[in-house]
Amino acid sequence: MGTHKLLEVSNLSVEFETYGGVVKAVRGVDFSVDAGEVLAIVGESGCGKSVTVQSIMGIIPMPPGKITGGSAKLKGEEILGLQAQAANQFRGKEIGMIFQDPMTSLNPTMTIGAQIAETLKVHRGLSTQQASEIASELLIRTRIPEAQKRLNQYPFEFSGGMLQRAMIAQSLACSPSLLIADEPTTALDVTIQAQILDLLKELQSRDGMAIILITHDLAVVARTAQNVCVMYAGQIVEQGSVDDIFYKSAHPYTLGLKLAMPSNVSQQNKKLEPIPGSPPDLFSPPSGCGYAARCPHAMRICHKENPPLFSDPREPLHAARCWLQAPGAPKTQGLYQPNLIASHGA
Amino acid sequence: MLKYTLGRILSGLVTIWFIATATFLAMHAVPGDPLMNEKATTPEIRENLARKYGLDKPIVEQYVIYLGNMVQGDFGISFTQQNRKVNDIIQDHFPVSAALGILAITFAALGGILWGALTALYRNQLPDIIIMFLVILGISVPSFVFAALGQLLLVNINQWFNISFLPVAGWGTFAHMIVPSLVLGLGTMALLTRLMRSSMLEIVNEDFIRTARAKGLSPSRIFFQHQLRNAILPVVTVLGPQIAAITTGGFVVELVFAIPGLGRYFVQAVQQLDYTVIMGTTVFYGAFLVFMVILVDIIYGFIDPRVRLK
Repeated sequence: MGTHKLLEVSNLSVEFETYGGVVKAVRGVDFSVDAGEVLAIVGESGCGKSVTVQSIMGIIPMPPGKITGGSAKLKGEEILGLQAQAANQFRGKEIGMIFQDPMTSLNPTMTIGAQIAETLKVHRGLSTQQASEIASELLIRTRIPEAQKRLNQYPFEFSGGMLQRAMIAQSLACSPSLLIADEPTTALDVTIQAQILDLLKELQSRDGMAIILITHDLAVVARTAQNVCVMYAGQIVEQGSVDDIFYKSAHPYTLGLKLAMPSNVSQQNKKLEPIPGSPPDLFSPPSGCGYAARCPHAMRICHKENPPLFSDPREPLHAARCWLQAPGAPKTQGLYQPNLIASHGA
Repeated sequence: MLKYTLGRILSGLVTIWFIATATFLAMHAVPGDPLMNEKATTPEIRENLARKYGLDKPIVEQYVIYLGNMVQGDFGISFTQQNRKVNDIIQDHFPVSAALGILAITFAALGGILWGALTALYRNQLPDIIIMFLVILGISVPSFVFAALGQLLLVNINQWFNISFLPVAGWGTFAHMIVPSLVLGLGTMALLTRLMRSSMLEIVNEDFIRTARAKGLSPSRIFFQHQLRNAILPVVTVLGPQIAAITTGGFVVELVFAIPGLGRYFVQAVQQLDYTVIMGTTVFYGAFLVFMVILVDIIYGFIDPRVRLK
């Protein structure tokens, strides 16, 4: 591995050609994941979170999807835009993935055991017998009771939470170094959500596996992640550690998300404040900052020019794409403005 | 599974009884009877004949006798073909129709699945456009046109090369079956192709196909293991009724190719009001179709685990 990051994504851009025109779903995204790290990507629906990770996995439908630029390096090797055969060297083996809706994400006509065993047979060349033994161990590891019996059952015989556990078991089959969890708890009810998150965290800390957790739920982020990327309108608007994001929010959008999140600190007269409006139309992204139209602090320049990522040279890992972080910008209440001077990438 | 199968067979028997009763009533509701024509010249002869065939008895009694015989597997004697047993007619001619029908449905199912999968794979590209054009033709042109055209083509080919590649008409060898079964299965194949295509296109966008790709499975494995099996389900569903359509609708094709199938007797019997043959063939066909539908349902249970347990 050497000095390489586990996964390094730079300047990723993805477009979709639709009847209505070209949707610029992802517009130059950079992030990286270290071995054993839990990175959360947050943002509201339609901001490009899922497209980002699905492009890396090479599972966006192409056409209409098209990766128009950038690179994604897994342990230093380019994995973006590979043909199926080459991509299958890492898919399911180095990178496992679980999805939002476990009810529809498993093949309804195959037993759970066969679906888990399939990965093992394809990537590790195991026999059916060996593969199903490991599959049974995986079900035990993901806390599915009566694993032997469950192995021979079909998805429709499982509950939603159990299916997501089975999905996790399946994605862990080849002990991947990275697990991508695309809104793994969104379709589950709240009590099950917590169980699934705990399970993910436990598996992560035990096996030293890295996780990219996609979610729109800040509570999930606080509970699981070490680092966070906040995405908006196909771009990363703020990135940093969990503490940076929660306690030193440097982008008004992050601030808005926080105000819209319920907290259990009892405060009199504290209302949740929704962010007014909706994200911009990505058929023709605005030339300025994507958030300007909804931003209570927007300045003239915000509507004209898209800000670069600003960061404090003393904490280079915390960066925000906001003109309010430019030198000389007005002080804004609630926003963390350390007088950033360095900027990188536009 | 056993309970499910037994349940289906029981309801199938009720269906057959219903078919028999309805046919019996409909047949007797038609004016005239099988003795109307030339043989019954005088009232005495007519009376004797009626007594011989039991037509002088009240309808209800005829019905009871008839059902009793049917349960024992005896459909009686034909009115118009001298002393020929209906059982014999079915025994002699049904195997011919069945062989033709089974070959046709096999051909239709295999072709439908293959073409459907292919068109889905090449969606909106040239192979898809060509095949879908042919499919529209196959659905809209009636089978007797294809039968005549097929025969004509065969004649021309044979003439052109001056050898008999395939027999133009008749029955006896496997070579005789090929063209008629192709013609007979064409409409169904076209229908199944369309069904398979739309089903495949639907499955491609399913979440579990995305999962399969994320698992790093090869495109061919995804196609065969995950897509095909799920896409086949709707095709299997319509297979039962389609077997019905093919075996009963085969008589036109049988006529064109001079095949001694059961279809011809079925049609003739209706024209001549040959009570026993009408009843025999209808009930037999009915039973055959009910059996086929049950068979398809059972097969469906094996393909789709969700059906098995219900």
